[in-house]
Amino acid sequence: MGFFIDSFLSAIMLLWSFNPDVYFIIYVSLKVSLSSTLIASLLGVPAGFMISFNSFRGKRAVVTVMNSLMALPTVVVGLLVYSFISRKGLLGILDLLYTQTAMVIGQVILIFPIVVSLTIAATSRVDERYRKTAMTLGAGPLQTALVVFRETRFGIIAGVIAAFGRVISEIGISMMLGGNAKGYTRTMTTAMALEYDKGEFVLGVALGMVLLFISLAVNIFFNHIQGKGRV
Amino acid sequence: MLFELKDLTRIYGDRTVLDIPGLILEKGIIYAMLGPNGSGKTSLLEILALLVPPTTGQIRYENKWVNFSGNHLTLLRREIVMVRQDPVLFTATVYKNLEFGLKIRGVSRKERDPVICECLDLVKMQDFADAGAHTLSGGETQRIAIAQALVCSPRVIFFDEPTSSVDAESQIDIENIIRGINEQKEISIIFTTHDLMQASRLSRRVISLQEGRIVPQRFQNLFNGRITTDGDGSRSCLVYDKIGFLVKTEKRGGVKLSIDPRKIVILPDDVPGAHKNIFDGRLIQMTYEHDEVRAIVDIGVPLNILMSKEKVTDGHLCVGDNVKISCPSEANEVL
Repeated sequence: MGFFIDSFLSAIMLLWSFNPDVYFIIYVSLKVSLSSTLIASLLGVPAGFMISFNSFRGKRAVVTVMNSLMALPTVVVGLLVYSFISRKGLLGILDLLYTQTAMVIGQVILIFPIVVSLTIAATSRVDERYRKTAMTLGAGPLQTALVVFRETRFGIIAGVIAAFGRVISEIGISMMLGGNAKGYTRTMTTAMALEYDKGEFVLGVALGMVLLFISLAVNIFFNHIQGKGRV
Repeated sequence: MLFELKDLTRIYGDRTVLDIPGLILEKGIIYAMLGPNGSGKTSLLEILALLVPPTTGQIRYENKWVNFSGNHLTLLRREIVMVRQDPVLFTATVYKNLEFGLKIRGVSRKERDPVICECLDLVKMQDFADAGAHTLSGGETQRIAIAQALVCSPRVIFFDEPTSSVDAESQIDIENIIRGINEQKEISIIFTTHDLMQASRLSRRVISLQEGRIVPQRFQNLFNGRITTDGDGSRSCLVYDKIGFLVKTEKRGGVKLSIDPRKIVILPDDVPGAHKNIFDGRLIQMTYEHDEVRAIVDIGVPLNILMSKEKVTDGHLCVGDNVKISCPSEANEVL
């Protein structure tokens, strides 16, 4: 117990000292995770809408596949993307392996199904009357979709936050595609794993606290806008 | 001509909810669409409002055949607004809800405000502009939904059971609003109801729907019955297993019976003798509508009777009277 308290206090000291290495790790983590969440949302939310509002052959199959892919293991994505971007891979010529771009690509693949599935879940539950009311008041297809988006935005934002939570805390993709290169692709989770391997806990505990703080902050922010939106 | 429908059907699964070989609706007047629950009123309105395509058949709006797969549908819809029976408002303030229709029509911010205020005034909700739409009661929501349609200044408004969920006072208000916008703004109106009185009070023409089909308006006394053959070979349709109406039909078993309200005659109570097509009853209601008087006589089932004002005066008819009515076989039609 004394050991844990020691690490805890040292971690606070470390964060307090504004050590640039530590903050760079946090910066890389946030940059990669926010980028992948943004890209996955820009692709996934419209895709979820399209699937939700159109009837086509195989729609149920698509929904089932998306739901199953929500449980995609990070190491599987890591392997898959690795096979494409490694030197011998199809896209090896782009020299993407062990870059932040590679991490973003892997993370987008990981959370795209989450965003799509949760968007479908949120929009398919929305009252059909909203769509018809918007249409009868003269809204075109895009404006109607925006109305439905407004009415379901909390469900969709919750999906996006779940996706962000998945990427900020994942380690498989960051390790396999980023390579944990110091000052470049080292994220909070890969750094923590490395510190654990070295038997050093202070940095690990510090980063763990930051991770928890980020998820707390995101949820406080979400609750805040949700409260504001209740009219 | 506002709308023309041709060979229109709407089929859900294996259930045909609408089957209309032809229908023409004229511009500028109020139509009532009358029918019991499940007769296809809402389905027809949704098709006319171009929200749902028919399964087969065509619709002509303002002399143009509507192409449901085309891109111009949004532009057509901007001339036709439907107010739902159970309206929903967007999660925003009342003002923003009303602003929606104007915003998507590209009306400038400056021009929106007077229109919104005028429409709020019209539905007597001027104090609710800043209220959250989801804090309103059912009747208030209904009024805002009407205002929401009005701000769009459409050429046609459909009201689906506009007064089914409001109290008596609001009902009169809403009827006055409907009458007012038809007269002042020359908006064509079609509303659905299952209240015969409301239909004749408010509308110039009535369309009766029965199981997805348009039936002539005279079918107001509609009963489920069973054909029986009497001792003398004549046929009767037995309603509620107790009242037999003389009919001329070859059909057997369960049928629908319709009795023309204009062919039923109220006789003086002292007419002697009993006959198969004469019934004892009590006059329970009389209302004046469009130069005619509608009387409801309870003979075990309520029967609608339409007659001239003179007949009422000449016969000294009074609500509460015991009367005899004659219901000849020509009045009774088996469907």
